[in-house]
Amino acid sequence: MPPTADGFDYDAALHACALGDQQALQRLYQQDGRHLLGVALRIVRRRDLAEDVLHDAFVSIWHKAASFDAGRGAGRGWIFSVVRHQALNALRSRERDVYTDDNDALDALQEAQDGQGDTVAEQFELQAEMGRLNDCLNHLDSGKRNSIVCAYVDGCSHGEIAARLNAPLGTVKAWLKRGLAALRECMG
Amino acid sequence: MTDTNEEMQALAGEYVLGTLPLVQRQDVERRLASEPLLRAEVAAWEQRLLPLTALAAPVEPSPALWPKISNSLAVNLTPQAVAAAGGWQRWWDDLRLWRALSGGAVFATLVLAVLLTRQPSPAALQPAYMVVLVAPQERTAGYVVQASMNRQLTLTPLQGTAVPGNKSLQFWTKGTTWQAPVSLGLVQPNQSLKLALDKLPQVEADQLFEITLEPQAGSPTGRPTGPILYLGRAVKVAM
Repeated sequence: MPPTADGFDYDAALHACALGDQQALQRLYQQDGRHLLGVALRIVRRRDLAEDVLHDAFVSIWHKAASFDAGRGAGRGWIFSVVRHQALNALRSRERDVYTDDNDALDALQEAQDGQGDTVAEQFELQAEMGRLNDCLNHLDSGKRNSIVCAYVDGCSHGEIAARLNAPLGTVKAWLKRGLAALRECMG
Repeated sequence: MTDTNEEMQALAGEYVLGTLPLVQRQDVERRLASEPLLRAEVAAWEQRLLPLTALAAPVEPSPALWPKISNSLAVNLTPQAVAAAGGWQRWWDDLRLWRALSGGAVFATLVLAVLLTRQPSPAALQPAYMVVLVAPQERTAGYVVQASMNRQLTLTPLQGTAVPGNKSLQFWTKGTTWQAPVSLGLVQPNQSLKLALDKLPQVEADQLFEITLEPQAGSPTGRPTGPILYLGRAVKVAM
């Protein structure tokens, strides 16, 4: 998350959007449009689709601004999640999920065959500014860490994570599940 | 749904992470509307993982994107939209507005009834400005505000508004150059209200009016704190 040392008031801008102030939406766009396009592009992987996502997300922010509860002071996070979910929906509706829910027995078998301390090559360079999340991710073993970051940043499906990290599908699912649980515990 | 807590946390985590297939994603999105626990778990995950967005390098949008977004903001009740439509009369007559507001005839009839009952008033009481207060989500009209040149203001409900027992409706306004909204007081649900705006400047074009849901005694901070139920901007009535 880039610093917001410029003191931009996201909650106030969203409140103004709810009151029909189009310039407030434009200020949000000027403030974070390039970051949001970057986030969308990593997920949908095509420039034209990423711009479509940003377009649809901003129209949606405009219409949903009133439902955002400004009291929480989390306007920026809300805007990023609207864009991310727009991008994820676009990505997932484009792909036919070839990795349909495979049977759990096979997963369990693959998992059993898997060594405990397997490491995978680091795919991402984490940043210290990510604060507590950075610390908690670094406490995870590499498979769990890379599965989580691959999914969040690049919109990887289970199958894509398996291919990238060269790990069995069942293992990836277990990594995600346990990685998320550990992260939740670490971050509170 | 009968998820255990742990299952719900895991589902929320994978939803935010993005690994769920489309069908499951859509299922979660449907459930969010009615399941506060799931909503809270999702919100917590959004917050935990947000710093990871910094790993995506910024990309400058093409110059054509903002104008395209701006064009898509569709029916809105901004003064610009009114001006673009050729002024108040055209805007008022524009069927698309009524459709957007409420699905049409019933609401239009109600507003006409309100207008007609006011017709015999002396000139000073003729509304100089009107505001249709619209529910932001459903785009349905909830109230009409009329302000006369002698600073009398009426607020007329157009539909029933359900208010929880421990809450109140509070009425606010904000001029285009004001720092913050000013309270016009609490509103009894489903009753009209007449006010004298003695301490405020004359209503001006574009002035914002809104009704928010607040604690029973009204906002404790003097500013709107609760969700906006209805809002709109003042438009000068050409008489």
